This record gives sequence, structure tokens and C-alpha cells, in this order.
Amino acid sequence: MPSSNPLPPKENALFKRILRCYEHKQYKNGIKFAKQILSNPKFSEHGETLAMKGLTLNCLGRKEEAYDHVRRGLRNDLQSHVCWHVYGLLQRSDKKYDEAIKCYRNALKWDKDNIQILRDLSLLQIQMRDLEGYKDTRYQLFMLRPTQRASWIGFAISYHLLKDYETALKILDTFRNSPMICYDYEHSELLLYQNMVIQESGECEQALKHLDKYSDQICDKITVKETYGKLRLQLKQYAEAAQVYKELLNINPENTTYYARLAVVERHTKPEETLAMLQRYEDLFPRALAPRRLQLNYAIGDEFKILVDRYLRRGLHKGVPPLFVNLRSLYNDQQKVDTIQSLVLEYKEALKAHGHFSDQEKDNPREPASALLWTYYYLAQHYDHLGLTEKALNEIDAAIEHTPTLIELFVTKGRIYKHAGNVQEAYKWLDEAQGLDTADRYINSKCAKYMLRANLIKEAEETCGKFTREGVLAMENLNEMQCMWIQTEAANAYKRLGKYGEALKKCHEVDRHFSEIIEDQFDFHTYCMRKMTLRSYVGLLRLEDVLRAHPFYFKAAKCAVEVYLRLHDEPLPDPTQAQEIDTGVKTTPKYSAGSERILVSEDTVFVYTLLIHKLIKSKLSEFIPSMTPEPHSRKRADHLQQQQ
Amino acid sequence: MSINIRCATTDDLLNIQHCNLQCLPENYQMKYYLYHALSWPQLSYVAEDEKGRIVGYVLAKMEEDCEDNPHGHITSLAVKRSHRRLGIAQKLMNQASRAMVECFGAKYVSLHVRRSNRAALNLYTSSLQFEVSEVEPKYYADGEDAYAMKRDLSSFYLEKNATKEKTNKDVELDYWNDCKTVYKSDGVFFLAVSSMRLRSRLVLLEEPVKKASGTKKSWHGGKVV
Repeated sequence: MPSSNPLPPKENALFKRILRCYEHKQYKNGIKFAKQILSNPKFSEHGETLAMKGLTLNCLGRKEEAYDHVRRGLRNDLQSHVCWHVYGLLQRSDKKYDEAIKCYRNALKWDKDNIQILRDLSLLQIQMRDLEGYKDTRYQLFMLRPTQRASWIGFAISYHLLKDYETALKILDTFRNSPMICYDYEHSELLLYQNMVIQESGECEQALKHLDKYSDQICDKITVKETYGKLRLQLKQYAEAAQVYKELLNINPENTTYYARLAVVERHTKPEETLAMLQRYEDLFPRALAPRRLQLNYAIGDEFKILVDRYLRRGLHKGVPPLFVNLRSLYNDQQKVDTIQSLVLEYKEALKAHGHFSDQEKDNPREPASALLWTYYYLAQHYDHLGLTEKALNEIDAAIEHTPTLIELFVTKGRIYKHAGNVQEAYKWLDEAQGLDTADRYINSKCAKYMLRANLIKEAEETCGKFTREGVLAMENLNEMQCMWIQTEAANAYKRLGKYGEALKKCHEVDRHFSEIIEDQFDFHTYCMRKMTLRSYVGLLRLEDVLRAHPFYFKAAKCAVEVYLRLHDEPLPDPTQAQEIDTGVKTTPKYSAGSERILVSEDTVFVYTLLIHKLIKSKLSEFIPSMTPEPHSRKRADHLQQQQ
Repeated sequence: MSINIRCATTDDLLNIQHCNLQCLPENYQMKYYLYHALSWPQLSYVAEDEKGRIVGYVLAKMEEDCEDNPHGHITSLAVKRSHRRLGIAQKLMNQASRAMVECFGAKYVSLHVRRSNRAALNLYTSSLQFEVSEVEPKYYADGEDAYAMKRDLSSFYLEKNATKEKTNKDVELDYWNDCKTVYKSDGVFFLAVSSMRLRSRLVLLEEPVKKASGTKKSWHGGKVV
């Protein structure tokens, strides 16, 4: 140990026991041994012992003492790699990664080939995306431990992330030919990773050759086939690509991307061709949903009418509740909407009169009584989607009269009111639905959401509490489970109620989840190298790089921005003045006006920056409508009021 | 909307978590989802609508404690109530099970279900050939018992072999020809021969997969029941 202050054998043995206690989490014993060394006046200021004592104290939650000890130790022995390493670990535990990196670098000055420190450094570098630094550290680890698999993998990944594909591939090739490799799942994943690197280098043909050579050794056949399809499409080898997508559809006839790709590689120029292809697949896989449903996207005119008629009858006969949501995306085509509407209205009349879908079928056996119910239900959603609130309500009421116990009907009635802007009435119907099936969390969640839209925060918490752990506050448990939707909805409710402090609290809880998820990466830097799931690992790194672009973050940030702006424009009254006006009742405001102002100046800048980032990333057009409060609902609310 | 069923990626995990929180009482922190996606990237599947919203998912893993008898486990399966009765759960489960066999040589897949969850029990037993293997008392945090269920996956082995060179139909035809020539299509013998063939195929596949050397550290998942 190149310490400037080496311990004699007895104390040195004790010091080693401190290290062992730290590794085995026997912190109390560790402190005992440290005290034994430090109680000797000759070593009472021994740097490395002080540092280790500090590190151990930190694990016992005594952070301040920990920092004192570690810093004192370091001052007493500035040339000890142990002291620097310990200081780095302490900073790392506080998530001060930049500081920790500096400490590790200092530690390496005094012990440049220390594997443990190099590994710890590399972890922080990849976590902080210091890709150049990561590459250098992985190079050193590779030179020091060339017989370890992780040395090769880390070395290759570091070049891949720097887009030096050639070097990365050379390393991977050499590694694969070494005796460290077994033919198993991990090898299979390694080959797929290598293929990913080749693809990213832009060499489609090389990637194809690589796949040809190794596909037998890869057990993940789906990825092999999907990659073949992609590459052959890029290389314009259409016939071969078509074969691949046909094979994929045999495995999974519910993948809509495969159908879309097949249409491309079969060089369809007219929708009729795609329609014919889908009809073939419907015959081949009669139980598959996708080919039947996709036909409706491509058919027009009479052909569409025939197909949608069959589709609707089948759904209404069987009683498929999601029939409408399943067809909703057709509603941007007015002609299709008209066709559907006339068909369903025809069914309704015929079913009411004689229990058949049309007058021509009077001699056939009657449809089940539920067919009429599902027809009402469909029409209610249909009219609601078109903004015809009155008609929608008429249909849903007819449905409820027909079958007063079907939960879906109450949910839909609530949704119609929500779309019309009547949040109070909406929540009442959801509460009704929730009461009919208290064991279903989906209904429970919807009910809570509607309550929050009606600013009933307490009621929403109580409702959610039916599904959270007993003995813990519902909101606390939901926060622990990273339940962001409810926190964002609650933040917006607080904002509407003018409880800005509470609103901000919720927004910041969401922000913390995102920080946590970024932290979550840490363990996977080593884990994935062992598991060899490198494609997914690189996927994770790329996801984490843009994590806050997720809509959940955007919604919470938007709420926070609005609150901060509002507080900036109209600062809260000074609480001391407020108390003078307020007679007798003493309240301690959660945020005093002073602290609120500070918050505004610092945090607004922060949130603004995030928002601007998001703006640049997303298209402007997507952003602007979401800033104005749903004009659709507002218009309909006015409309409803006029009617009343 | 047509529903798209595909393998889940890391980009789906936040949305899977959202779907889980909406639908089920058993929830997990993001790290546990990451653990699944980064350990067995082939096994979890999602169903998405035309806007890319997750309407259902299956979160699946391999049990790592028994290397000579590999089997998968369904950690979580949910379909939004707004999208039920489209057969989505069944399709998700079949894709996940297929992948367990293909990538990890799983012999069977297991899961837990609440004793009171009749709808799920019905799906597992009648549509997916699961069988109750035991009752685990007070498995859930609220004190409810769980049925531990298992599904044998050997039918997927047949498929795995068949799709290599031949279609399922061709294989069926082969069986039929065998029977005709040897046993002159006696029904009983036909069955016997088919299952023998099947077994020989299974034996071929039962060769142990070589395991990589090196220590495997156990993983401490973040499951919170």
C-alpha cells in the first residue's frame, strides 16, 4: 500500500479487518476496529483509517460525521489512493458524480492500475455519458485484464457509442474467436449485437452477410427474421423480403407492421392489391383480428360497405365491447362515417322491430337480445365522437334501460359528459360504475381520474386507497409505485383550486421519478455485460438520454410552468399582511411568499429550459394545440348550455 | 384501430408500467421492468393501438434457479378493460410462451393468479391449457391465496421444429404417410406413432444447452407486492 504513513503489522491487520467489515456490511464492527487503531496516540490522525471510519459511518446514516472523517483523513494523507477512492465513494453515494470522478482520478494518480478504482470510474463515466473518458478507462481495464469477458465487451461498447464502428467490430470479431465463447444464449445475443453495430455503420450488405453466416447460431429467430426483412428491404431485394415477412406472419399474424411491410415489398401501387393480400390472410388465419380489421382501412365505397357490414354484425352479434374503439380510426373519413352510421341505424330499427339486423332476414333465427344493447352502445359512442351530445345521451339511456347492470354503459355515459365539459356529472356516472365492480382497478382508476377532473382530490385519494397497500396513505403508496398519471392529474386539480404549493409538490414528485429512473441505469452497466444483452443495454442508454421527452414528463412540466408563470405574474400576498387581516386564526403557510419568489426565479428557468428542449425535439404543431384548454370540449360545453 | 401485437422494447417500459398501474393491484417500480427487459428481451410482449398506446402487455421471465429444467414465469399480464374480449391476452401469452421455448428451451411456464379472479382463471384453464399445480396460501399482500399454475410447452417444440424446414401441414402429412405405410391407418396405432415421433423430436431438443462459465450473481429484484 503506497501510503505515506504505513501502519505496523498489528494495526495493519486491524485495518484489513475494517475493509472486510465494510465489504460484509458489518459496520458496527468496522467502527470498533477503527477506534482501536485511532485510540493509539501514534495513529490518532492516520489518514486511511479515518477515511474508512468515515465511509463506514456513512453506511450507518451518519453523513455529517462521515464527511468530517473522510476529509480529515484525506488532508492527513493526500498521497493515498485509499483516501481518494473513499472520498469518491462517499460523493458517489450522494450522487455527486462529477466530484466522485475527480476523486477517482486523483486516486489513480497514486495507484494507476487499481482495477477496482478503474471499474468504479468507468461506471460513473458511462452514467455521466463521458464517452471519451469511458473509452480510455475501458482500454486500461482491457490491457490489465484481457482474459475477462467484460473487458472485451466494455472495450467494444465504448467504441460503438463513439460511432467508431470499425474498431468496435474488430474487437468483437477477435473476442468471438477467442476460447472465452460458448455456444449458447449469450453468444446468440452477442452475434445480434454485432449485427446491430454493422447495421449502424451503414453497411447493409455486410450486415446481411454476417446474418447469413451466423443465423444458425442465433436462437432468437424473430429478431433474425425481422433483421433480414429490414435489410432486404433496404437493399431492394423485394422477393426475398416478401418471403421473410410471410414467415413472420405465420408466427404472429397480429403484427400490423408485418402486413404493412409486406405490402411495401410486394410493391403494391393500389389499395386493392393490399386489400386482396389481407383477404388471403384472413382466409389463412380466420382467428386473427388484424387482417380482418386492416381491410377496412383499404376498402372504399361498396366494398367498404360490404366489409364493415360483416364486421359490425359479427361484433354486435358476439357482443364485443371494444367494437367502437376498434373502428374509431376510420372516423377521419367522412364517407366511411356515413356508411357506418346508416348501417347501424338500420340495425337498430330492424332489431327493435323483429330482432334481426335487417328486414330481409326476417325468416332467419333471431339475433340474441344483447345485439340491440350493443347497437345502442355503439351508437352512443359514435354520436359522442361526432360531438352530438344529445343524441349520444339518448342512445346510452336506451342502452341502460335495456340492461341496467352493464358497467361499460355507465363509463360511456360519464365519458359523454366529460367530452361535453360537465366534469361533475361525468364523475357521478363513473362513481356509479365503480360501485358496480369494486374489484376492477381499471374502473377504479378511471373513476379517480374523473374525480380529479372535478377537483375532488380527497375523494379521488379515497377511491384509489381501495387498491393501495393497507396502513400507508394512498398517495404515499402511489408515489412509491411511481404512479405518475395520478400525480399529474392531482397537480392540475390543485392548480385549478389555486393551491399552487400543493400543485408544485406533485409536479416535482413526477420529476423525481424521472431522476430515479435515470439512477436505475447504474446497476445495469455491469449487469448487462454479464448477461450479454447488449442490444437492449444500448437501447436503455439511448432511452435514458431522452427520458424526459416522455409525454408523462411533459404534462407534469407543463403544469409546473403554468403555476410558476402564474406565481410570477401574481405573487401570493405576503403572509404577514394576510395574518393581520385574518382575525385570530393562525395558519402557517406551506410556502411563504419570500420562498415562493425564490422558487420562481430559480425553478422557472429550469423548467423553461426543459420545455424549450422538448419544443425543439417535438414538432411545433404538436405542441401548440396542447397549450390551449381543449377547444373541442369548450365549444361543446357552450353548445350544451345553450340547449339547456 | 387495429391492435398490433409485438415484442416489447425498453422504450415501451414506462407505458407498460402505466398500463399495469391502471389495471392491476400488483405494481412494480421501473427498475423491475428494466430488469425484465434487460435480462430476457425476447419474452415480454405488448398490444398497442393505432396511436401507439399500450392497451395490454405480458411481462415474462425465466426462472433461473433450475438450469436442468428451464421454465418461464409470467410476472404480470394485463389488458385494459376497454379492450377486453378481443382475445388479446391469449395472443400475448402465446407469443411470450413461444419465445420462451425458442430462446431459452423452456419446458413449461408458470404463473400465479388470485383465487377470486374467476375471469383470469377461466382464460388460463380453458384458452391457454394451464393447470393448477398448487395453492399458495396468503401469497398476496392483502392476504388472498394464489393458485400456482403451469402450462406444458411441448406443443411449441413441435412448432419450433416444424417451422425450420416444413410447415405444420407438411409435418402432419408426414405422420399420416408413416401411418399409412406401416400400420395401414389404424386409429390407435396412428396416435401411438405420432406421439413416439413427437417424443423423439423432443429428445433431440432436450440436449442440455451449454452454459457459460463464470459466476452468476443473483439478482435482487425490486418487486413490491
